[in-house]
Amino acid sequence: MRASLRSDLKEMLAEQFDYRELLYQMTLRDLLLRYKQTVMGFGWAIFMPLVNTAVFSVIFTRVAPLPTPVPYPLFAFCGLWAWNFFASTLRFSVSSLTSNTNLVAKVYFPREIFPFSAVLVGVVDFVVSATVLVAMMVWYGIVPGISILWLPVVIAVHIAFTAGVALIVSMANLFYRDVKYLFEVAITVWMFATSVVYPMDRIDGRLGAVLALNPMTPIIDAYRNVLLLGEAPTPAFAAAALLSVVVLTVGWLVFHRAEFSFAENV
Amino acid sequence: MPGPPIVFDGVWKKFRRGERHDSLRDLIPSYAKKLFSRPNEADLQESEFWALRDVSFSVDHGEALGVIGQNGSGKSTVLKLLTKILRPTLGESRVVGRVGALIEIAAGFHQDLTGRENVYLQGAIMGMRRSEIQRHFDAIVDFSGLEPFIDTPVKRYSSGMNARLGFSIAAHLDPTVLLIDEVLAVGDVNFQQKCYERLREFRKSGAAIAFVSHNMQAVANLCDKAILLRPGEAPVSGPISDVLARYFRAFSLSNPHVQVLSASLVDDSGLPLERPVKPDTILTLRGSLLCTTAFSNFGLSLRVVRADGLVMFNGVSTSDQAAAHDIEAGETLEFAIRFRASLLRGTYRVDVSLFDATAHRRWQEIVIDGIGTFAVDETNRVAGCVELAPTFDVTTGAAVAR
Repeated sequence: MRASLRSDLKEMLAEQFDYRELLYQMTLRDLLLRYKQTVMGFGWAIFMPLVNTAVFSVIFTRVAPLPTPVPYPLFAFCGLWAWNFFASTLRFSVSSLTSNTNLVAKVYFPREIFPFSAVLVGVVDFVVSATVLVAMMVWYGIVPGISILWLPVVIAVHIAFTAGVALIVSMANLFYRDVKYLFEVAITVWMFATSVVYPMDRIDGRLGAVLALNPMTPIIDAYRNVLLLGEAPTPAFAAAALLSVVVLTVGWLVFHRAEFSFAENV
Repeated sequence: MPGPPIVFDGVWKKFRRGERHDSLRDLIPSYAKKLFSRPNEADLQESEFWALRDVSFSVDHGEALGVIGQNGSGKSTVLKLLTKILRPTLGESRVVGRVGALIEIAAGFHQDLTGRENVYLQGAIMGMRRSEIQRHFDAIVDFSGLEPFIDTPVKRYSSGMNARLGFSIAAHLDPTVLLIDEVLAVGDVNFQQKCYERLREFRKSGAAIAFVSHNMQAVANLCDKAILLRPGEAPVSGPISDVLARYFRAFSLSNPHVQVLSASLVDDSGLPLERPVKPDTILTLRGSLLCTTAFSNFGLSLRVVRADGLVMFNGVSTSDQAAAHDIEAGETLEFAIRFRASLLRGTYRVDVSLFDATAHRRWQEIVIDGIGTFAVDETNRVAGCVELAPTFDVTTGAAVAR
């Protein structure tokens, strides 16, 4: 059992390395397509979090004012920016296998390519919309401190967790098409259970205890800590990091062991 | 690793009939059922069937295997197992080396991308590196003949253009194993010719080829051995001419009106044909039929069909001043049809039919397809169907005043 686990892990990584060219081409394909099919192209990556920031800024500064450690629009944009990478990558991953039926049923290559290229597309959007965050930081006169050195770690954990969940949802939707609809509901609920547009730390009691199990909250808080507040990530982030590694490893292993049956079930 | 690059060893594959539960509503009952019974891999559940039963073959370097059979006999399943898209239920399917799969050669094309972008995408799907695609790019475009359209989105291409571009990419892989599934059915004659030439080059350079096709002439041209898959029965494999003969025989030797007691195709020595004949050989088809229905005033017809379905000859006995005959139910009919096989290389099927000589009414015809088969072996001619035996009379040297 142990030996087969190790050989599976080795095979998974070796296959990804062998097919790195395809991963690149599939990512390029999806980026090119968006650029060709839409007028705004990459503008959409910036537009969505901006509109949401505007809406929530009205709500939480005029309707129900909310104290935040940094100006609210910056607080909200930082959260929406990080959340948007997670949510839009997953939305794209959910149907990544089922919308490529032709390839899944007829050509052999590691199927991880589909969710992974969705993640890479998400990363590109993430980088593009980061320019807005930088602009807002300049506007509000916030200079990140030495804590910005944590940023690569935060991003790595964020990507690992996203990729792990992406593998799971894409595979689940291949076997049960209900997942796509369930996902839409779940991702909305999940967003409001995460510190995206308001801080979580003031919710206590039983609800607070349940919400503390959500790994996305410490990840999004970590972005604010290292970029806006000049602090190191919280201990909860370490737990989220550990969980991310577990989710990615287990998700990938399950995906890898099930992928031989994809062609028959797609 | 030594040994043949393609090995298919005692492979069984089962499929589900109909739809699997696709939604959660059906999931729960099915899991409840699974909980109480532990199915054995080798057992068939109801709604399951064997697509392949105990299929074995191997293909060595420089060999080409034709995989033939009716629709639904499992040909494409064999290729999907070889490409690792499917896994065998039992047995082992092993392919060693760099695999080029010409199955759905345009599967990876995205309609909104241009031909150029699709070459890179499809190349990567087929396992080529970017540097490799870049190096071969001009050759690929040149081979496809699509240079003026290479920056046009593929959605504006015709299906023939799609296939040409797809094959051109595949043709510039450098495979040690080549798996081909009926991809050459599209494209015009010239392009098909080019494709087959390319395949023969691959074979000469040592690639092992597995070729699935309904075009028996193409199979006969490219392959030296074949496997005939039959639904519900053991497959037949062997040299190409033997397997093709079995394929044609499988069609219809049983008929509600006549029963074939014996049939053989012989040359002038009177011995049954064992190997391909030369063009212009005189062949005789001898047969004995038992009629189970009475038939009056009938004649015989002879039809010779090439493996790809081209009818080389179809003629009736009464046009050659042969008399018509009558027969009662339960009587036997003996016949001998002599003909000159003025044909070029290929595999041919012989059909015989009984028809109503009074009216030439075709609906009263009783056709016995594939009562005999033969192959013609010849390499003198560049191309063609029929041996015309031309003589060339040429004179040179006379000066012409201008």
